[in-house]
Amino acid sequence: MNDPFNFLAFQRSINRRTFLGRAAYGLGGLALASLLDPRLVRAAAAEENPPRWKGIINPPHFPVRAKRIIHLCMAGGPSHLESFDYKPELKRINGQPFPESFTKGQQLAQLQNTELKARGPFTEFRKHGNSGQEISDLFPHIAEIADDICIVRSMHTEQINHDPAHAFMNSGSIIKGRPSMGSWLLYGLGAETDNLPGFVVLTSAGKTGQQPVSARQWSNGFLPSRFQGVLFQSKGDPVHYVGNPDGVCQSTQRQIVEEINRLNGILAEDHLDPEIQTRISQYEMAFRMQTSVPELTDFAKEPQNILEMYGVKHPGDGSFASNCLLARRLAERGVRFIQLYHRAWDHHGEIEKGMTSAALDVDQASAALVQDLKQRGLLDDTLILWGGEFGRTPMGQGSGRDHHINAFSVWMAGGGVKPGLTWGSTDELGYRYVEDDQKMHVHDLHATMLYLCGIDHKRLVFRYQGRDFRLTDVTGDVAKGIVA
Amino acid sequence: MMIAARSWLRLAPLTLLSTIASTSGAATNQIQFNRDIRPILSENCFACHGHDKNQRKAKLRLDVRDVALEKEAIVPGKPEASKLVEHIFSTDADEIMPPPKTHKTLTAAQKEMLKQWIVAGAEYEPNWAYIKPKRVAPPETKNSQWVRNPIDAFILHTLESKNIKPSAEAGKRTLLRRLSLDLIGLPPTPEEIKAFLADNSRTAYEKQVDRLLASPHFGERMASPWLDLVRFADTVGYHGDQNQNIFPYRDYVIASFNRNKPFDQFTVEQIAGDLLPNPSVEARVATGFNRLNMMTREGGAQPKEYLAKYAADRVRTVSMAWMGSTMGCCECHDHKFDPFTAKDFYQMEAFFADIKQWGVYQDYGYTPNPDLGGWSNDHPFPPEIEVDSPYLKSRIDRLEKLVTNIQAAAAQKLGRDKERKKAFDQWSRESREFLKVWPSGWATPTPEVTVKVKDTNSVAATNFSVLADSTLSFSDNPRESVKVSLPVSNMWLSAIRLEIVPQEVPEQKRTAMKKRNGTAFALSATLKSRNGKDRKLPFYFGEADHKAERYANGFAIIGVTSLWQISTQADRQTAVWLLDKPFHTQEGDVIEINLGNAAVTSARLSITPFPAADPLRSGMGPAIAAALSRSPKSSDLLSRTYLLTTAWDSDFHLQARKLQEEIRECRHGRSPTMVTVPQKPMVTRVLARGNWQDESGEIVDPAPPHFLPQLADPSTNRLTRLDLARWLISTENPLTARTVVNRFWKQFFGTGISAVVDDLGAQGEWPVHPELLDWLACEFMTPSFPRTNKGKSSSPQAWDVKHIVRLMVTSSAYRQVSNERPELKEIDPNNRLVAFQSPRRLEAEFVRDNALSIAGLLNEEIGGPSAHPYQPPGYYVNLQFPDRDYHAEKDERQYRRGVYAHWQRTFLQPMLANFDAPSREECVGNRIVSNTPQQALTLLNDPTFVEASRVFAANLLTSNFQSDEQRIDAAFARALSRAPKVKEKQSLLEFLKSQREYYTPNAGEAAKLIKTGIAPAPAAIKPPELAAWTQVCRVVLNLHETITRY
Repeated sequence: MNDPFNFLAFQRSINRRTFLGRAAYGLGGLALASLLDPRLVRAAAAEENPPRWKGIINPPHFPVRAKRIIHLCMAGGPSHLESFDYKPELKRINGQPFPESFTKGQQLAQLQNTELKARGPFTEFRKHGNSGQEISDLFPHIAEIADDICIVRSMHTEQINHDPAHAFMNSGSIIKGRPSMGSWLLYGLGAETDNLPGFVVLTSAGKTGQQPVSARQWSNGFLPSRFQGVLFQSKGDPVHYVGNPDGVCQSTQRQIVEEINRLNGILAEDHLDPEIQTRISQYEMAFRMQTSVPELTDFAKEPQNILEMYGVKHPGDGSFASNCLLARRLAERGVRFIQLYHRAWDHHGEIEKGMTSAALDVDQASAALVQDLKQRGLLDDTLILWGGEFGRTPMGQGSGRDHHINAFSVWMAGGGVKPGLTWGSTDELGYRYVEDDQKMHVHDLHATMLYLCGIDHKRLVFRYQGRDFRLTDVTGDVAKGIVA
Repeated sequence: MMIAARSWLRLAPLTLLSTIASTSGAATNQIQFNRDIRPILSENCFACHGHDKNQRKAKLRLDVRDVALEKEAIVPGKPEASKLVEHIFSTDADEIMPPPKTHKTLTAAQKEMLKQWIVAGAEYEPNWAYIKPKRVAPPETKNSQWVRNPIDAFILHTLESKNIKPSAEAGKRTLLRRLSLDLIGLPPTPEEIKAFLADNSRTAYEKQVDRLLASPHFGERMASPWLDLVRFADTVGYHGDQNQNIFPYRDYVIASFNRNKPFDQFTVEQIAGDLLPNPSVEARVATGFNRLNMMTREGGAQPKEYLAKYAADRVRTVSMAWMGSTMGCCECHDHKFDPFTAKDFYQMEAFFADIKQWGVYQDYGYTPNPDLGGWSNDHPFPPEIEVDSPYLKSRIDRLEKLVTNIQAAAAQKLGRDKERKKAFDQWSRESREFLKVWPSGWATPTPEVTVKVKDTNSVAATNFSVLADSTLSFSDNPRESVKVSLPVSNMWLSAIRLEIVPQEVPEQKRTAMKKRNGTAFALSATLKSRNGKDRKLPFYFGEADHKAERYANGFAIIGVTSLWQISTQADRQTAVWLLDKPFHTQEGDVIEINLGNAAVTSARLSITPFPAADPLRSGMGPAIAAALSRSPKSSDLLSRTYLLTTAWDSDFHLQARKLQEEIRECRHGRSPTMVTVPQKPMVTRVLARGNWQDESGEIVDPAPPHFLPQLADPSTNRLTRLDLARWLISTENPLTARTVVNRFWKQFFGTGISAVVDDLGAQGEWPVHPELLDWLACEFMTPSFPRTNKGKSSSPQAWDVKHIVRLMVTSSAYRQVSNERPELKEIDPNNRLVAFQSPRRLEAEFVRDNALSIAGLLNEEIGGPSAHPYQPPGYYVNLQFPDRDYHAEKDERQYRRGVYAHWQRTFLQPMLANFDAPSREECVGNRIVSNTPQQALTLLNDPTFVEASRVFAANLLTSNFQSDEQRIDAAFARALSRAPKVKEKQSLLEFLKSQREYYTPNAGEAAKLIKTGIAPAPAAIKPPELAAWTQVCRVVLNLHETITRY
């Protein structure tokens, strides 16, 4: 049939030259901001067809080491004391009253108003790889990639309950309506694909230790909604409304989109409104998403050895392992920020059983993702971050541990991070990070991640309610020591 | 009412004020501090040389003239002596201001401007928004024809000064569609368009304005942005994000806009309705406003921390919604750009320190809250009151009428059927027999009792007795289970009654019984027939006259069907369970009822053949006996009872039950709603850097921000929320009226007169038409421009919302065409001068309402509990405490307006989220408008829009049209209020042809497409034809024009 878009191309070329960058509303939601910030008009004007957002930081402030980020979020707060931060002294005083010198005047969660007793780690630790990084026996596969990862033991945060702690880890603020780090990155660097959302979220859950997570954790906040994280569903359509209605095949749907765009093109002939052009492009992109999402989630071509490597039993079953494999496929297709939540780490009680089970859920697939990206040459420009929203108390809570904000561990791999490095430390009981130049506040972590992505965190800003906001609020130092 | 209190304000000394600002004299070339200088200083200098003493460098303030002069940064008239000039023109990296590390630079023009300002004497003005608005007479214009009201005079005066002509008036079709979408959020019907086109009177347009302002949908449309500000939602937001009971507050907001409640009263009721003398129910419902902060019941959350979060949230909301100010910054430090201090922030917090609330809404061992003892994740969030819901009341009326109708129909059927008449006569005879023995309608045969005892070693087996009236009396020992067997006769068995009867028991025992608030019955019944067969008798519904409430995700569970938790407040209490299926028993059968291990001292069991919709009214012996003795066949009571008892008409039986269930779900037309209850105020301290654990800060009392006009002679020692509300609506307050009218302007013209509607402070924007903004603000507070309504003029009231809206939408400025003007690109790239009307994509709720309305599916009822539109399955899988199900509405409630959509803060309905509706976790004064592929996917594939398309198609096909052309004309008339252009029509006809070609041989696919959603598809239309037209309608509902108000 005739191609309606040739005719439209003519319309577009005229209208774009005349009007782009000066819409009375819209600009993909940046209209108000653009009144005050001419850079936004430029970034929007750089949008050709297809309407790919080229990023506000263009060119980047620094060399781009990490083109994309995969955040493996261990939701619930895994214990650092049983994963990456070995504390023999804590083991020694197991069961004894916890020294008050550590805890006096400090914030507690469920241990409020109780007697505090030391709880030693229940696992053994060993040194692994040439780097000799200490990793607990709960994570044998991650231990195998010890030389590929950088363990940060000096993490600390400000929020002691799950909900605000996730918010703080994702947006650098506990005030709602702030953009998450994936949205910031997409806003900053732009999209690399037109066929998929630039920020994708996947969730899975363990057998115990589950805590809810909210969609605000991947919210675009005050940034335009094009920068929102898109949650892929484990049931039904992976992306909301990406499936055609029943009784509409792909070619019929294509006809619909063409007809809509043809009529929108006719509208543009006598309505000088640049939003019409944007709308036409968005329908094109929507249709491309409808085509590429099924291809993305079709695991049929993944060989058996790859499935085994991740420990995927049934591809697409919504398990963490399956999500890791999907994360690789998303990374290959140019998705900028991929976030996996595994809800399994809130071990107030029965930590031994719960954490063993949670570790079993994630260990193999986390390591496989690093190795798989490496063998495909993608690890160099993909940054992986593994960790929770906080750590757990060295004091016991019955058979478990309570939330802890003064110390926790994460690891990173790829994307310009020094491999085989242990960064930062905690005191002998794992209670508090050591105040040295290797301490890592959440804002420091964000600053470092943005640095690896080529962005000066102080210059990635958005004017909202009269103030320039940034992911790192008003602090944050880049941990240059972990940059390769 | 409260307006009289305005005189008790006096102007506080404005420390920043060195000259009184002159806001008159548009388009002057003189340098004006507020317009020309303040933005430069605020953007580049104030962060280090401004209000925030902690960040201040070299002790220099550039925001206070005296300090700037003292430090010789500025020497008026002498730029060469001014250090500021020296630094900004410096080329030395160590000297230049702003310093390179700030990544801020001044343009040459900005530097020159600063210099010229110093040459001219470096006069300061306080920020425009902090000066009381002054009413300036509307300016004279050359073209007086165009000026319909003062808005036009201001707009045109500026346009003329720039030699710009306003745009032409839009055509009538466009105007009515614009007006309708703007005022009620719904498109005009083709009939309304026709009527408007036919009306050639001079006031034709104004009549439409009056009609729409009087529409009950006006309130729904106006409520949306207000609900964003007050962060109205159906769930608490934090952690488990449980439901909260608050919809009556939403209905209050809608009703207030509909009744044109003065904005000052609206303010007072929400912030302090509970503190008014003898507050009305309405005013108490309004105080739900103070309860709309997010709340938690997460285990391990620290109450003090969360109380601090709730308090800060309220300050952010009040300062944003009423003052257009960003006080949130001051939780941690003095504001960097505006004169708000951290102390101001906490003084504002202190106003709300008397609100009864809990930091953590549960009683945990580690954070005890004894007054919430036994509270679970399913409980509501107190305090609440119970109020009438007009929506629920009218729903009950409607449902009851339906019951009456189907019952009449079934009774008629009964009268026509010979066999059934015989059965009815048989039933009547049996009933007479039964009533002879049991006149009350309840049979209480002597029971046989088996008690299984927990610990047989220590307790005697005979720990009960059966009294003369068949009451079982228990001793106070632990039991594992109690089974009671009742012999029955030839009868229909419909309901079982359990009475807890107070006995003459020792006081000690009574007390013991009262303590057992956990005592609950999970009753079950089995029929043991005389031939040895057992049959379970499941219950359909049970209700009790007294009970302890149980909850499921915030809502009280209706009835006691599966569990009756007895009340500790009453001695005598009764519960009745209706059997799922009525059952006819025979002499010799036995009903065995398992009472479980409920610890009560006494119980009595009865059975009846005569059920009532309300279980507790079952029995009805005297009434039935009376009816039987008159003429059984004409008795309503008898036919109803017969129908319910025997279920001979199973359709009626099921329908009646469903309707009764829906009636019960209306909870007698009442709903709980969260309100403000005052208590002794908590201590409020200034928290250093916002740290809630820091108890060293100064204790503060409530007070308005220090630099704004203060309350004079407050009535009490400690100011109250009522004082705050009255302060906000005082005519001395420079912020409130401006903030509100500026937001209205944005609603009708696309951008605020000051563009940053959520920040009128230094970092906001100098308004493009300051005199107009001030005129509107003054007109809002103390109107002087006569209102014309239905051709008659009348005086508007103070704070008259409809008056201001009417002024805006009747102006010539509003009525212009919305085509962009290329020739203005350089002069006015964002159409701030309003040389044409700005198109606007509809907001999320109205995108949905519009499609449903075009399709003819929209449910236009006002108010009521939030409804659940279609939502992708599994969307709440990451929610817990409690785990969450989502059940999309299966009846007409599916088609309720977006303003009534269930608002889950942590997982907002994806259609709403995709169209930029905020999650309402935080106050939002300015919704984003984006244009994304997710929006395209939603309109293409969300069942709401697919269903709307097929219903739209069915309506086109079943209406009296002669041709495809006529149907396309009608589709355009409904969706776009206009006729299609020739090529649009041709294109769609071509498209229709292609769809017919596809669906005719693929009838199976067609059948699937026309099944989307719950609306029935008319059987008269062949599926391929309906499917092809559904596709056409999908195109129409997806058009950019359909979701845009031009």
